[in-house]
Amino acid sequence: MSDNLITDAVFQHTAKLSRLEIKPEESYIKDQLAQAAQYVEVLKELNTDNVPPTYQVNHKSNVLREDVVNDSLSQDLALSQAENTTDAYFKTAPTINKNK
Amino acid sequence: MTDLNKLTLKEAREGLLSKKFTAVELTQSCLDRIKSLDKKLNSFVTVTGEDALKQAQSVDINLPLGGIPIAVKDNYLTKDIRTTASSRVLDNYLAQYDATTIKKLKNAGAIIIGKTNLDAWAHGSSTETSDYGPTLNPWNMEHLPGGSSGGSAAAVAADETIISVGSETAGSIRQPASWCGVVGFKPTYGRVSRYGVIAMKSSTDSPGPICKTVDDAANLLEIMSGSDPFDATSIDEPPWKKPELRQNLKGLKIGLPLSYFPPQTQPEVKEAILGAVETLKKLGAEIIELSDVLDPKYSIAVYTILQRSEVSSNLARFDGIRYGHDRSFFGTEAKRRIMLGTYSLSAGYYDAYYLKAQKVRTLICQDFDNQFKKVDAIIGPVSPTTALKIGASEGQSMFGEIQDMLVEPSSIAGLPGISIPCAFDKIGLPIGLQIMAPQKREDLVYQIAKLFEDNTDYHLERPKL
Repeated sequence: MSDNLITDAVFQHTAKLSRLEIKPEESYIKDQLAQAAQYVEVLKELNTDNVPPTYQVNHKSNVLREDVVNDSLSQDLALSQAENTTDAYFKTAPTINKNK
Repeated sequence: MTDLNKLTLKEAREGLLSKKFTAVELTQSCLDRIKSLDKKLNSFVTVTGEDALKQAQSVDINLPLGGIPIAVKDNYLTKDIRTTASSRVLDNYLAQYDATTIKKLKNAGAIIIGKTNLDAWAHGSSTETSDYGPTLNPWNMEHLPGGSSGGSAAAVAADETIISVGSETAGSIRQPASWCGVVGFKPTYGRVSRYGVIAMKSSTDSPGPICKTVDDAANLLEIMSGSDPFDATSIDEPPWKKPELRQNLKGLKIGLPLSYFPPQTQPEVKEAILGAVETLKKLGAEIIELSDVLDPKYSIAVYTILQRSEVSSNLARFDGIRYGHDRSFFGTEAKRRIMLGTYSLSAGYYDAYYLKAQKVRTLICQDFDNQFKKVDAIIGPVSPTTALKIGASEGQSMFGEIQDMLVEPSSIAGLPGISIPCAFDKIGLPIGLQIMAPQKREDLVYQIAKLFEDNTDYHLERPKL
């Protein structure tokens, strides 16, 4: 937590991982991220050696059920909210560029 | 009869069953109120209108909520009524199924009159970050209603509905209830199914009621609660039932954490809570000052990290392929939160941020465990201030976290809590008292809140509109 300087490179990389386009007029987000990162430094005041993390507060784990087939959405209904479909599928942007 | 919209759930049920008025008249009364007020107040993103009236015509009023108009926060999926989460990303989204709570409400005969405004994706404590404009506070329209369930709280306070549902991740039921002078009941994490409520911070998201009285909220919670095979984190228990009423609070120890009065606490808020302490003492409770409760400032930091992290994961699904628009439609607030979450989860920062926060979360849970060895329940202000002015959240990247600092610790630990009206400040804005108890002890929260309400008149005040 000591080095929380958010450089341009880190900021751009984070935007890429987030799949977000940050507009020039939103560049102030970078400073706000740095401020938030600075604020949470307060946690360093607390000793957490040998303290386990809590991911889940009602302590349920491995909730399993029999693998029984139940009713689900029809194909038409499942596709009904998509902007682009083709035949009976969702249409997505290409993820593999054949020319490379 | 006029002003049916002003009735409580209890009064509306009695009126319907004794045939003083019909479900159609009751529904029409709420719709009329919305029509006359909501262009300005902006509690609703969508109003169902004719569909609600049609439903009211054929509803069985003998059902637990038969014919009762309800306003639903617009992050609950509702089949055939659009669900936006107050974000343009979902501007045209029609859910293919109902949230578990919506199914239960429909089975109980409730009439959904509309979907209420929230901070976009429930990211905030002002309802000011909604892509559909801010909701105003019915007590003073220059002020914010709080959030994120600001639309639900304002709709109840303004008598646009009889009852409503909101959702809380860290204050989003209790804080707007406090700022709007109504009752907000946040159940134990897992008491009410999260299935079909658009995920924000999954490890603390808790749907719950916002109503005009403690009993109304408890009655609605009975219907909303219960284990759900579609939510693996729901508590494996039958639906919650209201306990017997207590005659007084004798034998109960109630803790008052001194750290819940941070320096920015408005003097009137402190006075109000100390006034409430006197009322509780008169009712027989023993009030114990707690001087060693973990400073809420740590909860702000834990919440900031964990909320952003879970948000960055939960909002990854909004890619515009299966539903909604693409990611260019996200507003600045959502972008800011996704970015910080992605940063704190990414390689090189995970241990320092996410893991550290989850360890401090353990300390917060242990702190409550220790306090509850000394006291049965804990009280305090919901918010350090009354409703702030419109515009207060702008440009403040941690506005919500700081406003919600007194409700974050109990949310992080998954505890039940309630906000009830306990005073007004000098310009007439409501002040909320919160009551918290150990996990699954909604019975204690209810008993204390109900006795406080029965012995005070604050819940009877309504805004002059």
